[in-house]
Amino acid sequence: MKRFYFEEEGIQSSEFHVPLYRRASAQDVFFIGFGLFVLSYLIVFYLISITNIFIKNPMEINIGAMFQPPSFDHLFGTDFLGRDIFSRIVKGTEAFFLPGLLSITISTAFGVLFGVLSGMYPRFASRIISYLLDIVDSIPRLIFILIIIVLFSPSIYLIMVFVGVTSIPKITAYVKAKVQVLKRQGFIESSKALGLAPSTIIFKHIVWFSLKSVLIIHATLGLGEAILIETSLSYLGIGVQEPFPSWGNMVAMGADYFFQGRVWLSTIPAVTITVTIMGLYLLGDGLNAIYNEKVTR
Amino acid sequence: MITALKLVLKEIIYTLLLILGVTALLFLFFNLMPGNYMGKGGGLPVYLDLLKGLFTFQFGVSVVSGVDINTILFPAFRNTLVLTIGAICISLIIAVPIGIFSAYRSFKGYSWPLTIFSYIVSSIPVFYFGYLILFFVSRQTGFLPIFYPESTAGKYRFLSYVLPILVLGVANDAVSEIVRLISSELGRVMSTDYVVASRARGEYQLASSINEGIAIPLVSIIFSKVPFLIGGAVIIEFVFNWPGMGRLAFQSTLDRDLPVLVVIAFLSVLMVRVGMILKKILLYIFNPGEGRG
Repeated sequence: MKRFYFEEEGIQSSEFHVPLYRRASAQDVFFIGFGLFVLSYLIVFYLISITNIFIKNPMEINIGAMFQPPSFDHLFGTDFLGRDIFSRIVKGTEAFFLPGLLSITISTAFGVLFGVLSGMYPRFASRIISYLLDIVDSIPRLIFILIIIVLFSPSIYLIMVFVGVTSIPKITAYVKAKVQVLKRQGFIESSKALGLAPSTIIFKHIVWFSLKSVLIIHATLGLGEAILIETSLSYLGIGVQEPFPSWGNMVAMGADYFFQGRVWLSTIPAVTITVTIMGLYLLGDGLNAIYNEKVTR
Repeated sequence: MITALKLVLKEIIYTLLLILGVTALLFLFFNLMPGNYMGKGGGLPVYLDLLKGLFTFQFGVSVVSGVDINTILFPAFRNTLVLTIGAICISLIIAVPIGIFSAYRSFKGYSWPLTIFSYIVSSIPVFYFGYLILFFVSRQTGFLPIFYPESTAGKYRFLSYVLPILVLGVANDAVSEIVRLISSELGRVMSTDYVVASRARGEYQLASSINEGIAIPLVSIIFSKVPFLIGGAVIIEFVFNWPGMGRLAFQSTLDRDLPVLVVIAFLSVLMVRVGMILKKILLYIFNPGEGRG
């Protein structure tokens, strides 16, 4: 599975430019296609849920229609209060969409900042930054979030800020490694010789031209992690609270009826979570393969 | 040997520094929080007291129940340790063969259902997978206990470890990560010159690429997954009602029992850092050139 035959020390693959669509194998096309499908339905669901069109009211209780199995009228069936599960799943995207974007923004912005600083100035900045980030990195994320919940408030935005903070170290490590390689290359040295300002070199030539792919991959993987954290916390009962739908608390509520044979109550949200997270992981890994980055989750 | 000792010593000193940093961060948070709790505003002496308590393993008493934390924490810590290590072993048993297989035939032929399987397994939410296993294995067949026996009943104790370890080992995102890393790294290593040459000499291709292609990626990924496994343990212990550190952490979150939570954070940081030290040592063993820099 060797993609670049000329990829050796000193010769960069960018010098022999291969278009992205020709680097992709069948596997990569499948992965990225599935990932884009997931991303598109997430966005469509979010748009539907904020405008409240096309779906039934997700809060509307209808005692007469409890526990109805999936049918044409109720696409995914109804839950223990007769609420339509499909519209609750659509509405549940609101619980993580904006908070997830917030966490991605924080982690990529600070990750790039710290990574570029510690890559460009290894003497001064690198040691302090790596020590501070190791502190954040060595507390397990869920334990950290539990402490935050005890100390401050269980608001989903605050939790997602800390999810973003805890994924800074990983991005910083990749950006730092990448910057250290880029710094020694011809085009950076020649742009220094041309007398360009350091900010132009860093933001235009390093961040914008060479780090885009890393950031896109991290953003998709980060959205997956945000969804995982949100659903886990809602499942445990310390995230989004019950009358408001979230995929996690739908699984938790449906699990009470799982052993009575009414499996769709919790299975449908769980399958949705699985497909969504799998799509984001596949998107990240497919992009990884065609950009030839080695980003791990 | 001297180099290895120096490496370990350096790592241990760095770990101590990091623990100082972590406790300082937590102490900063205590002083930022609203309300009055745990010697807020006490400054340096209170922090030193906290440090002394943590490093001598005298953790004090729980705010809510009034019990000595040592008596409830150490059995829970042991259970979580068993759960985490067992889960790592299960993940390895599942993921490594799939990775090797898909390195041989990359996504063609028989390997793609296994690759997709590894992705499904690693993105299924662990709480739902727990219910599924409880439903099918325990309820339908009934030969594995679904709870942790409190006392006596020694013959069932071993069996009650099986389900949580299995669920946490199968349903965590380390599986697809290992599969992807091994299949790409092994695929790369198997086409390098020295492996091709050793194949020409009649040796096994896999045996000569096992060090660079499997051991090094595995070591570097497994130990960095420890924090995520502890996070998964919180949920699994909640599902299976397993008396471990994660359930204790969740319970003390609900009770707002800060001293217990601090001690749990301290112990899990210790676990993570010990994993990092092990990673450094193992990487030194597999690749002595790298650790020196």
